[in-house]
Amino acid sequence: MKKNNNISGFKTPQNYFDDFEERLFQRIEEEQFPKSSGFKVPDGYFENLDEQILKSVTQNNSTEKKKVISHIPKKYFGYAAAIAACLLVAIQVFTFQDENPNIESIQISMLDKYIEDGYLNINLYELTNYFEDSDISGLNIDFELIPEGVLESYIIENMDGTTLINEGFNPFE
Amino acid sequence: MIEEKELVSALQTEEAKEVAFSQLVSKYKERLYWQIRNIVLDHDDADDVLQNTFIKIFRNINSFKGESKLHTWMYRIAANESITFLNKKARQNNVSMEEVKQNAINRLESDVYFEGDELELHFQKAIATLPEKQQMIFTMKYFGDHTYEELSETLGTSIGGLKSSYHIASKKIADYIKNNEISND
Repeated sequence: MKKNNNISGFKTPQNYFDDFEERLFQRIEEEQFPKSSGFKVPDGYFENLDEQILKSVTQNNSTEKKKVISHIPKKYFGYAAAIAACLLVAIQVFTFQDENPNIESIQISMLDKYIEDGYLNINLYELTNYFEDSDISGLNIDFELIPEGVLESYIIENMDGTTLINEGFNPFE
Repeated sequence: MIEEKELVSALQTEEAKEVAFSQLVSKYKERLYWQIRNIVLDHDDADDVLQNTFIKIFRNINSFKGESKLHTWMYRIAANESITFLNKKARQNNVSMEEVKQNAINRLESDVYFEGDELELHFQKAIATLPEKQQMIFTMKYFGDHTYEELSETLGTSIGGLKSSYHIASKKIADYIKNNEISND
């Protein structure tokens, strides 16, 4: 009998056959998964969606534009921030005089709440105008004092996702 | 429908932006909706996140450099918006992300916009047990039919890593279904 030793020229990825069975059985198991998610949408939802989205984008855009036209000169935002911060510290110090009257006595959660409730109503983008690069490079932050998990969840919860996307940020890594 | 490159340049031109944007919405609204819905589960939440996603796209289109494909850039924004939404919800209700997901799953049985049978409900419950990243990879691949190349660009993970995550997720779901079937018997 003639020996068949012709070579086809094809090859497989490295270790292809090593885990073939495992992949095959998994595929068989997957066959039992439902093909549909079970979700549905209200009748006519997608038909009216374009209009709704365009409306909310236009509204949002005009609100953004309105924000730019400010009657208060930009330079006062810095002063407003400083005054608000001083007031906050003063209130805290004088309200809790019996306790240790120092900056550490102010609970971070109270500061958070104050800002979240909108009392410190300052646009961060405006605020950054008051900082020079040299101010930032001069900052000496001890990152070891901030646990990694806290920093990560702060970034995920508070940063503008799109800005991070543009910088190649991966939310999962 | 115009090609993606032309669409991007129209979107980045002030005069053509709004017309191009309506084309973009019309082309991608359903795909983005289902990507989001598979993560947040509730229709009203998905609608909110979808609107936010398109607002972000509109606002940031000028900073899109074309280093990735437009649609993968949009999927990425949708993924980020969905996670941000769930995180905010957890923070507002002072509960963990897992609890938010569990509550959403518990509401599915009475949700008028969920028409799944017992197996589909069971399947959703199994998916909800996965860690966030595996859940996103699994739903985008299984329901969204994305290629690994697309997913790699969207989620910023290597193709090898994605394949491995998908297989682990799939195995966990199969195990969950199998174990729960046994307990139901």
